Amino acid sequence: MAARGQAARRIKISELATYAALAIGALAVAMPFLYAISTSLKDPFEVFEIPMKWIPAVAHWENYVKPFKTMGLARNFLNSVIVAVSVTTLNVFTCSMAGYSFAKFRYWGRDFFFLAVLATLMVPLQVILVPLFELVKRFGWINTYRGLIIPAGTSAFGVFLMRQYFLTVPSELMEAARIDGCSETGIFFRIMLPLVKPALSTLVIFIFMNNWNSFLWPLLAVTREEMMTLPLGIASFESTYSTNYPQLMAVSMASTLPVLIVFFTMQRQFIEGMALSGMKS
Amino acid sequence: MAVKAKRPLYKRKESFAGFLFAVPALVLFAMFAVYPIVRTVYISFFDYNMLKPPVWKGIGNYTSLFTDPLFGQSVRATIVYTLGTFVPTIILALTLALLLNSQLKGIGFFRTLYFTPVVMSMVVVAIIWKLLFSFRGPINQLLSPVMSQPIAWLSNTRYAPIALSIMGIWKNVGYFTVIYLAGLQGIPREFREAARVDGASPWQLLRYITLPLLRPITVFVTTMAMISGMQEFTAQYVMTGGGPNGATRVISLIVWETAFVFMKMGRAAAMCVLLFLALLIITVLQKKWLLNSDY
Repeated sequence: MAARGQAARRIKISELATYAALAIGALAVAMPFLYAISTSLKDPFEVFEIPMKWIPAVAHWENYVKPFKTMGLARNFLNSVIVAVSVTTLNVFTCSMAGYSFAKFRYWGRDFFFLAVLATLMVPLQVILVPLFELVKRFGWINTYRGLIIPAGTSAFGVFLMRQYFLTVPSELMEAARIDGCSETGIFFRIMLPLVKPALSTLVIFIFMNNWNSFLWPLLAVTREEMMTLPLGIASFESTYSTNYPQLMAVSMASTLPVLIVFFTMQRQFIEGMALSGMKS
Repeated sequence: MAVKAKRPLYKRKESFAGFLFAVPALVLFAMFAVYPIVRTVYISFFDYNMLKPPVWKGIGNYTSLFTDPLFGQSVRATIVYTLGTFVPTIILALTLALLLNSQLKGIGFFRTLYFTPVVMSMVVVAIIWKLLFSFRGPINQLLSPVMSQPIAWLSNTRYAPIALSIMGIWKNVGYFTVIYLAGLQGIPREFREAARVDGASPWQLLRYITLPLLRPITVFVTTMAMISGMQEFTAQYVMTGGGPNGATRVISLIVWETAFVFMKMGRAAAMCVLLFLALLIITVLQKKWLLNSDY
């Protein structure tokens, strides 16, 4: 009895230690958020007060409204929505179609094409920056939505993800539909695509988030403020009005909100998708 | 091939339709990935400013890079950021994953919280940390009992790389934790239980059972970390602009400056080719490392 009691106590202590360690980690992760939220509600004069206050004397909610009204940030927000939604839609089509093609058909050069697509996974944007800019400039796409959307219109990871998923769908379904006289596009859109919905939701989340947060390409493709996406708009707000920290923090938090909402509501797909995207590359 | 030729005509018609499904993606890849890769290699042998036609320079861009102290500094800054960020990140992530893997209540909450910085944009993260590291900011206030005077984190060549790495750790640790956690959950419970029955201490369990079984994950995580560390751009661009004195001017940043501030496209392309070769070597080493392991 005594020994069992001791063992139970030891387990309790190790549990407590685990919780304590996890809580310290949680605190370290949460602090910058809490600080940003706290600062976003302050008066600029309160930001660098020593000792610092976590709760401002008066909550200045207008910090969340003003920058969107007076600066171009509302437009930047809209741009981000337009670009991220278009890029995601485009990817849903290009990736699922290519994945379907690579998984379910046999034709000359198929494996070569697939390998070539996979090989581009290894080449980050940083490496092809110069010719990509040159190309988009030659098309006259600088400062246009096209310049932000079309180069991001497909993704090697997306094609790979969809191909793997289509491999698990039995081909007999296609054969049966063909015998029933269904067209190839009909087979794809009405029979096959609905079967890969889980993979599609992973794809949508992954592409949307990457695009919502992307910075380097918009930095090159856009020079005019009204065409900037949100990350660019915030960065330029930061370099112009860097002293207004409360508004800066408010803008930062507000721009993070859409991603956070998607993340908290679709956590499982989100985390799995992110983990998968790395694993498979 | 012979089998293919025997396939009836209607099958071949389908294959063509099948190929058409891949065309939109293939066209985009050809234009915005394959062509730029080839073109990058091509212009790396030229003097080119995008206004005048390129002038052949042979390997001049490469040889001048090898003797350029600024480029050398940039390579060092990249290595410092990559190692300084990802060695602690991986160790922390493994620790957190081991803690999260114990069957306790509320683990989901911690997992979600740790992952939150991963979904945020680097611009926002960098802006928040810039404020945290400011001279009268909260980090200096927190340190005030142990430091005689506040640290100018972002304008001191010694501290700026440290500040960037701390931010990088905060941003990335959740991602690697989740991957390690997935790996840990893939280890059958029987392995650990058998070892426990044989009287293995928790430490021995970790050292001889868990860590060896996690090895493929560790190899993968290390490669991922190195590759993404070597590409980082936004963090340095927003937080320090590459300063002070170029202490944080990492490769991506010097490429961007060379190409789009100084308009030396050929030289920037040569840097890109070198960066790509470095990434390639890491990937190949990873494959080797995985094949050499016993699993």
